[in-house]
Amino acid sequence: MESNAGTTETRSNVTVPDGGEVAAFESLQFTDEIHRLISAPGTDNASSFTALLELPATQVVELLHSPESVKLIVASAPNVEDFKGSFHFPSNTGLIQKDARFSVFSGEGNNKNEKSNSPEMTSKNSSANLEKAVKSEPAETVSSLPLVSDPTMENRNIKRKDREKKVKGSTKKSKTATNERLEDAEKLPYVHVRARRGQATDSHSLAERARREKINARMKLLQELVPGCNKISGTALVLDEIINHVQSLQRQVEFLSMRLATVNPRIDFNLDSLFTPESGSTMDGGNFPSLVTPLIWPDVQVNGYRKQFQHQWHFDTLKQPIWGREEVCNNYVTLENSLLSCDSSANSAATLHANQLKMEL
Amino acid sequence: MHLPHSTLKQEFVKKWIMGLQRCKFSNKKMSIFERKKAIKLSADTAMASARKGLTCWSRALISNPDRPVPTTTRRASSACKKIVKRSRRIRRTAKCGAARKGQITRSIAQCLVRKRTQILKSLIPGGEFMNEVCLIEETLDYITSLRVQVDVMRSLASASARASEPHN
Repeated sequence: MESNAGTTETRSNVTVPDGGEVAAFESLQFTDEIHRLISAPGTDNASSFTALLELPATQVVELLHSPESVKLIVASAPNVEDFKGSFHFPSNTGLIQKDARFSVFSGEGNNKNEKSNSPEMTSKNSSANLEKAVKSEPAETVSSLPLVSDPTMENRNIKRKDREKKVKGSTKKSKTATNERLEDAEKLPYVHVRARRGQATDSHSLAERARREKINARMKLLQELVPGCNKISGTALVLDEIINHVQSLQRQVEFLSMRLATVNPRIDFNLDSLFTPESGSTMDGGNFPSLVTPLIWPDVQVNGYRKQFQHQWHFDTLKQPIWGREEVCNNYVTLENSLLSCDSSANSAATLHANQLKMEL
Repeated sequence: MHLPHSTLKQEFVKKWIMGLQRCKFSNKKMSIFERKKAIKLSADTAMASARKGLTCWSRALISNPDRPVPTTTRRASSACKKIVKRSRRIRRTAKCGAARKGQITRSIAQCLVRKRTQILKSLIPGGEFMNEVCLIEETLDYITSLRVQVDVMRSLASASARASEPHN
């Protein structure tokens, strides 16, 4: 918890140069924050969004109108890693910097190179893997390339490509070739391109191919993120799924905001009453099913996605010890778990309850 | 892996509650639709600001928070059906070798993909100005932020519903 707060604090200091209010803001504990927010009277009556964001107007304008934003992106390149641990997501400038040194793609390429260089590969299977690794490695190096059009470099590339083409036949030679290539990669300061066998080698198509590889890599990440996309092949259908997912999420937000508006007559949700009974109280499992089953769940779309959210929430429960002091979030997690566990029977009860609520309001 | 997910959630909740507090002092009596609009607006802005200006969509959302509700997107499928029909006609009329067929299918696929990227651009805030690579990155980020928003709003709604029940 401490480290987490610490890292968020450092990150905030790096990314938001204004700093003062926001950094102090984040160093405090969560529940204390909430209570402070609730009890503090509204100081400024300005309902402008700049006030909302705790940034002065000039800062907001700077954020929106460029060069600051580039600095932000570069400065927060390590921050982006946290975004989702399963993939690496460096910014473009970060990519270019890395390429200048190693000409290997950030995370995945390294792993594959290490695999290809392991001395255990002797059997035919391993040689086949090596072939694949050899083929994928050029793909990845191509993907890490920015647009370069240097004639001498191209000549060197063409020579290397010729060597590579000769080498493709035998496995032993390919192994040495990978070793050579890696040594070359570390010696040379600039990025080099490797064309696969039988493909055009002029700079335009190389750049085009690099761009396409980048796009394909990102699409794979998207496929992992959106549920149900793993089995679909073909860009158009995957994009269809992504569009459906984004639309359904947006519609859920609309619906949930409507629901929040109906449930509470006051716009600040009576936060005191929400948090005081929950903070520090023991949530015994016995009360939960009875309280949770009559909840509203009329949107059918939402049910479809609940299973995927359930998967995410299970991980969150494992991480609960980290949130030790943040009782509010803790309560949300346990609430959600119980919500998700007592599931489908809510539908019929839900519509009834919705009508009841409307009558009450 | 899911730790940043939770920090994003905390960020979002903090900022959202702040925003709602501010709304409270501006106008005492609001109709239900105004309330809903205010809630959604504050939630969207809070979510966008929780990204701290790192992503394009968040900046676009902050500068223009009122977005039209997404209604229909089945236009793409009808357009694609027309394209496929047209391509079938072409294939029937022209006697083509394998290479040309490959070309035609490739162009059809490109058309489909182009239509869909246009739709995606209309969905993501600020998406019309991005190239394809940026678009996909922004989509990734936007989807995770939307999920966070939905989770938080849902838990808040259920918590408040649960809290209001003992009063009956």
